[in-house]
Amino acid sequence: MNLIACHGNRFFGAIRSSNGDLMKGTTLNPFNITKAVDFSDQEINDYWVDISSGSGFTGMAKPTSPMPMLILGGKGSGKTHLMRYFSYPLQRIRYGQDVLAGIKKDRYIGVYLRCSSLNSPRFREKGQKEEMWEEVFAYYMELWLSQLMLSTVMSAVGGTSELEDREGDIVKELSDLIHLHQQTPPATLSGINALLRDLQRELDGAVNNSAITRTLPVHIAVTRGDLVFGIPRAIEANVSSLRGCLFLYLMDEFENLSEVQQKYVNTLLRDRKSPCSFKIGARMYGIRTLSTYSADEDNKEGSEFEVLRLDAILRENQNYEEFAKRLIAKRLAEFNRIQSGPAMLDANAKSLSECFEEPAKSEFSASETGYVIKKYSGRERPYFKDLREHLERGLKAKAAPGMRQTTDIEKIVQWLKCPNYPVLEKANIFFLYQDWRSKRNLLEAARKIADECDSYLNGRGKGSRYEEGLLHWKADLLAQLCRDTDQPQRYVGFSTFVEISSGLPRNLLIVLKHIFAWATFNGERPFQGTPISMRSQQAGVSEASEWFYQDAKMIGREGQLVMDGINRLGTLFRGIRFSEKPSECSCSSFSSDVSKSSETARRVLDLAEKWSLLIGVGDQPDRNTDRIDRKYQLNRMLAPRWDLSIYRRGVLALTPRELDAVFDPQHVKEFDKLAETRVARMRAPFFGHAPRVSGDMMGNLTLYGDQDHD
Amino acid sequence: MIDYTVLYKCELPVEGDWPPEIRWDIFVSAYTAAERVRRVYEKVSAGSKHWLVFPEYGFAAAQYPSDAFTMVARDEAEYVKAFWDGSIGDIGGRALAIDITGFIRPYLIFLLRWLAERGVRRFDALYTEPVIYSDRERTRFSDEVVVEVRQIAGFEGMHNPETSNDYLIIGAGYDHQLIAQVAENKEFSKKIQLFGLPSLRADMYQENVLRAYQAEEAVGRSTADESSSYFAPANDPFVTASILREIVNRLSARKQITNLYLSPLATKPQVLGFALYYLTERRDTATSLIFPFCEAYNQETTMGMSRILKYTVELPAM
Repeated sequence: MNLIACHGNRFFGAIRSSNGDLMKGTTLNPFNITKAVDFSDQEINDYWVDISSGSGFTGMAKPTSPMPMLILGGKGSGKTHLMRYFSYPLQRIRYGQDVLAGIKKDRYIGVYLRCSSLNSPRFREKGQKEEMWEEVFAYYMELWLSQLMLSTVMSAVGGTSELEDREGDIVKELSDLIHLHQQTPPATLSGINALLRDLQRELDGAVNNSAITRTLPVHIAVTRGDLVFGIPRAIEANVSSLRGCLFLYLMDEFENLSEVQQKYVNTLLRDRKSPCSFKIGARMYGIRTLSTYSADEDNKEGSEFEVLRLDAILRENQNYEEFAKRLIAKRLAEFNRIQSGPAMLDANAKSLSECFEEPAKSEFSASETGYVIKKYSGRERPYFKDLREHLERGLKAKAAPGMRQTTDIEKIVQWLKCPNYPVLEKANIFFLYQDWRSKRNLLEAARKIADECDSYLNGRGKGSRYEEGLLHWKADLLAQLCRDTDQPQRYVGFSTFVEISSGLPRNLLIVLKHIFAWATFNGERPFQGTPISMRSQQAGVSEASEWFYQDAKMIGREGQLVMDGINRLGTLFRGIRFSEKPSECSCSSFSSDVSKSSETARRVLDLAEKWSLLIGVGDQPDRNTDRIDRKYQLNRMLAPRWDLSIYRRGVLALTPRELDAVFDPQHVKEFDKLAETRVARMRAPFFGHAPRVSGDMMGNLTLYGDQDHD
Repeated sequence: MIDYTVLYKCELPVEGDWPPEIRWDIFVSAYTAAERVRRVYEKVSAGSKHWLVFPEYGFAAAQYPSDAFTMVARDEAEYVKAFWDGSIGDIGGRALAIDITGFIRPYLIFLLRWLAERGVRRFDALYTEPVIYSDRERTRFSDEVVVEVRQIAGFEGMHNPETSNDYLIIGAGYDHQLIAQVAENKEFSKKIQLFGLPSLRADMYQENVLRAYQAEEAVGRSTADESSSYFAPANDPFVTASILREIVNRLSARKQITNLYLSPLATKPQVLGFALYYLTERRDTATSLIFPFCEAYNQETTMGMSRILKYTVELPAM
């Protein structure tokens, strides 16, 4: 058994017999659960992994800070996980019977709610004015939040003698806040909760029936904010166990509220009263307004709230890979109910990479590209076939400098050959295309490249153009080689998956879920001693990428505009990567002066970023001017869809006209032509110049054409 | 407790005339480009016949009958109210039939609540099964551009702030994007999928499952100790209602359901079953019908006429 298998054995125990009674012969997938919502509270607790950066997630989210916070992140960034971790049910699990002592130690008590459970689209139209719905919704939220706060508090301190002693005072204080209209006030906190529930149900009924009756008879029994802030105040003042604690409303899925509804919540943030605070979880596109009902003033970052941009932080955090490894190691251990202390967890995390087969490191990528030699034994390799065709066409069109006759083609081809090292052959051809584009004499160039290659092979190429160029372009050359030889692109290895996840832990889980499924299907035994094959990894990554693409379709017509733009962008990047002489290496990013683009293009671009299809990666100084352009990378989860690099290196500078053609439907008709013009400059034999010999209309001037080699 | 299965259903001949006793005072149908909708409209014998043209089908004025009812507003409550007040008024004791085949689901569902509120205790629903879906398992019924997921008017129900045991039961149709969107909207709910089996035609079940699988990630985990897939005949609203009751009772027996969301995305008979179950047993509970509203629907998705089914639907008193 080789070394890799030995290390992989660490996880043998992590996947126990999974052929349980229910699953006859089916292996359970430890990565099946990818969403926090699918976890029970106990599982959230059991699978929790902190990031080793500062004070971890607690330091980032600051649950004891009175300043409200917006926690923004893409789908799968961990917002829900994080917010639920701070909620009372998790505090209860962490501290067990000593929950009050635990809350006192934490200095906060968390009340978690999902805005989606309000089902807020109900509160509109049906023959009523918008102002009426604003009032009704605000009242509804008051009742909703109050019930949740009361239930939480009753669960924490219910049955204690200190509550028993003070309950009457608390109930009196709260009853005074509810306009009961001759109803007998409740005598207990349970009674108050039941009353609030009845008021809410009454409102549910009125809202539901308004579609039929076109009336909305509502008596508003509570002034906005009175109970939301009043309950915590009354409890904190009367229950010593909770004195000094922050009562934290953890409102998740904020994007499910309309602009008007968010305005109400913003007002609560602005008018926040001690001992309350708020953490609002939302997708990046989810904040529709910062406006409030307090004289229509906007809340301002740094003043009324602070922001935690979760996936951006994770993406840029140098401990993210380590966090990801521990997350997966913990998942594997917990899945099979194996106790693992921190030391064991760390050791398992470190050895995760060995569970995935990767190309063996070898000089000049010989192992990785050895299949080319076997596959094309006795035949010309496809990239040389292409080169011949380009040289023939160039010669015919008098666009091949230095070449006079067809025998020159064979000379060039022979000089560029390096049969034992296909990647060096690709490099040689690439350098020739570079020289061709610069209109150098091709025969001289080919001879020179042959010499350079020979020097490089013999260790004499340090600092040379050859060595520098190979370093720069190797990833693209290997990608082209895969494509030329009809092989799938290689997205393999744990570090690659972490990179692909783009700071969203859920993406990593989904990639592993699909890889695990493929490995099992292929008869492998993942995490049980032998590394998962590259074949299974490639298939899993491809499927995960396809899932991400399908899942990213946003709600609404603009979702289609965004996806169409992303499709065009991906196609453009692919056209560049697989051209003969790409202008940018590992191109999956672009920059542009967005201020000069159309309003629609800017809006679609903004939406693409907010929906995490594009990742804003800072600014890019323009090469020719002092201008600073915005820079974006295509989400790495989408890279496999277009066979792109997941690493950010070359940046394609797009003109405003090109940006419009990509993202503005009014300009879409120009896209094909603009994109082909751009890519044509990278394609042999003409590199964007018109052929001298008329009638030569052949050629790979399309972004979409594939080349057949066999 | 109502036994839905005693409710009456029968088959009407596809070819040839129907018996003279098969007639109604009022007949309502939803206009589409499908042969199975238009031919039934011609066959029906009624005192008055009404075409409804829904804006989501995108018909130009020249494409539908000039006396059809249409409205720009895409609000199921407004639409049904405007049609009913303008064209029917007080139904009195008149016999009513509705061809549900071409209806867009939220309109059909709201219409049922409207009828119940108007005192209609019984009506006949007609449904024509196709021979085949035009693009097999790739058939797209909507443009799959979901503009929002929300409760259907009149079926918004009560809501429980306690959400620890919420369930979403999806009548799984062919549009996997719709399944995914509604599942994502109720991400935190446990999901149950109800498939049409027996299906309308023998191969449609497999096609259905193939499509639904594409929404697998959105639908999420299946719990280890209970089934997450159930089956009800694609062409029987009454058995569908019974199965729903059975599912809900089974789930409730384990632990009280905090909020129940029902989303009928499959055949129109199943949609009828969902709505009937809600109106009969789930009103005034923490139950609602939710739906992924699309911008547009395809005017024609089927070929041929396989069978014409007639269901006698009894609505509860409101």
